[in-house]
Amino acid sequence: MIAYNSQRVAYPYFVVALFLFALQVILGLWLAINYAFGLPQSIVDVFPFSTARAFHTNLLVLWMLLGFMGGTYFMVPEETRSELFSTKLAYIQLILLVGAGVAALVGFLFGWNQGRPLLEIPFELDLVIVVGALIFLFNVGVTMIRAKNWTVIQGTLLGGLIFLALLYLFGIPFYKNLSIDWYYWWWVIHLWVEGAWELVTGAIIAWILLQITGVNRQVVEKWLYIVIGLFLFTGIAGTGHHYYWLGAPRYWLWIGGIFSALEPVPIIFMMWDTYRNVKERQKPITNPIVWTLAVGLAIYHFIGAGLWGFLHTLPQINYYTHGSQVTVSHGHMAFFGAYALLNLTIFYYAFPRLKGIGRFNQNLGYWGFWITGIAMFLMGLAFGVAGVLQSYLERFLGMGYMTTQLTMQLWFKIVIFFGVCFLIGVIIIIYDLLRMRPAAPETA
Amino acid sequence: MTTRTARIIFYSGTLSSAILFLVLTVDTHRQVEALTHADQLTDQVVAGKKVFQRYNCNDCHTMLGFGGYYSPDLTRVYSRRGEAYIRTAVAKPDSLFANSFRRMPQQHLSQPEIDNLVAFFQWVSNIDTHDWPPQDSKKRIPAGARRLMGGATLTPGAALFKENGCFDCHKLAGTGGDSGPALDDVGLRLGEKTIEEIILSPQSVNPNANMPAFDLPRSDVEAMAEFLAKQRGE
Repeated sequence: MIAYNSQRVAYPYFVVALFLFALQVILGLWLAINYAFGLPQSIVDVFPFSTARAFHTNLLVLWMLLGFMGGTYFMVPEETRSELFSTKLAYIQLILLVGAGVAALVGFLFGWNQGRPLLEIPFELDLVIVVGALIFLFNVGVTMIRAKNWTVIQGTLLGGLIFLALLYLFGIPFYKNLSIDWYYWWWVIHLWVEGAWELVTGAIIAWILLQITGVNRQVVEKWLYIVIGLFLFTGIAGTGHHYYWLGAPRYWLWIGGIFSALEPVPIIFMMWDTYRNVKERQKPITNPIVWTLAVGLAIYHFIGAGLWGFLHTLPQINYYTHGSQVTVSHGHMAFFGAYALLNLTIFYYAFPRLKGIGRFNQNLGYWGFWITGIAMFLMGLAFGVAGVLQSYLERFLGMGYMTTQLTMQLWFKIVIFFGVCFLIGVIIIIYDLLRMRPAAPETA
Repeated sequence: MTTRTARIIFYSGTLSSAILFLVLTVDTHRQVEALTHADQLTDQVVAGKKVFQRYNCNDCHTMLGFGGYYSPDLTRVYSRRGEAYIRTAVAKPDSLFANSFRRMPQQHLSQPEIDNLVAFFQWVSNIDTHDWPPQDSKKRIPAGARRLMGGATLTPGAALFKENGCFDCHKLAGTGGDSGPALDDVGLRLGEKTIEEIILSPQSVNPNANMPAFDLPRSDVEAMAEFLAKQRGE
């Protein structure tokens, strides 16, 4: 069911990513417990919120990147019509990255970190990650160059991956000036999720849609150009919406406000593009869950990243919501809507093919999709209500921080409830993917 | 539309945005010196930033609004809380926040580390953030303070009580923090002289007190003590 033998290297990437995903969600639940209930000093001294948060966010980045990398290794042989340059390098890279990840998590427990949110990984481990990323880019790049079957999808994917790796470098040095520190911190975080990752997403989803719908490649690639062009046009200067209050010049309020207000536009295009491809399909639907996930991704991407981001991106609003639970609400819905669903789409497309399965029972997959999707949406709403309370009471009325937090308690308890639902959904998905069997014997 | 047109749209969109962004980045570097008072960025401030990172403070507290949302933003902590409070909070979080719903880990910082951290917070509190965060904005008087000042003309003692940040830890008529005892009936329990002593040197009255000493002019202390002695829970 796979066209090239080397596509198999994707499988261990996916399995590790799934395991880390579950771990990330469990740590997320622990964070919610920290918010909703008072914890004794003895626990806080040993495993403070800060360490748990470093776990939660680093696991997110690690599992999603491993998913993208696995997806790339799965897709590149078919797209270039050649075997990967080296499967051995792909395995070495996986061991390096996972090893660095595990070392980082253990290190966090003992206070070994850089102390910068999301980029806590210490310098020494950053070097290991850079080596792993270089191996990856080399492997993918050489495969594409040797095959000489360039396509827009390949170019976008490789461009996105190189851009992603380059940006990581801005997060490595120590900056003396706090404002400059955060200025470049956003080159990693914002330009990743609203730049490089969107390129990778655009390329992978265009490829999967091309595979499952059988629509005209030229049309798909033409729209890919438009979509990623708009993503970069709005996303690059849109970084300015993080520069409103960090000690940068006032013009960022204009630049950030205007460009980021346009950021939903490419997502709308992407949604419409997906819809059109699905409608004009030339192939029968053999694996409906992938179609559902692809459409779900398009819609959720728009809601979580586009709409929720737009809601608090204007400086007049952001002045009150910046750094509150409103940000948390947006972060959760956007990462799930755009990148968790992208990974799940990749997994559900690739797993049956890697296992040589044609048709399989889709029930559990659908349960997993709907449970995680709805639970995350309601969790996002609960964070959002807490955030509006916080913005109004603390920022607008000037009530003390802790007094405000006490009024938000109920909503954190609701977050825990939906968090448990979400975890159940994730476990269903992982179970379903790992034990996937053919539906009927004759299709095996 | 042809693929060629689409490609042109892609390149022109990406390049125009990237050029704008890079030009403004260069200009930001030019202006950030003044906006952040980079001339006051001493070695001690840099050492304080390293302390801040070493103990991963930023994954619980936000700074400039970035980081963990679990505890108060620290951008203006120096002007909001003052040096004495910061020192106590960092050195003895386990006892200062013993009654708090949320706790802070005891990370055993050394005295020089605390000194550096305070220098760092002081420097950060002067960054021009376009008046963010709103709750610490000098232009916008928080509603709590407005309520307090609204009713009657404030006595000098009451004004000083507010000015010196006593509300950060003490409650009065339902407003204020939880780290210290509420003071609604303090006049019934303590005399004016004792209150003066506590303000100047809390540990001389109660060796276990977490309250920092307030090195204030004699007249200020007397005015505050007079005001507090009148709080008899009526």
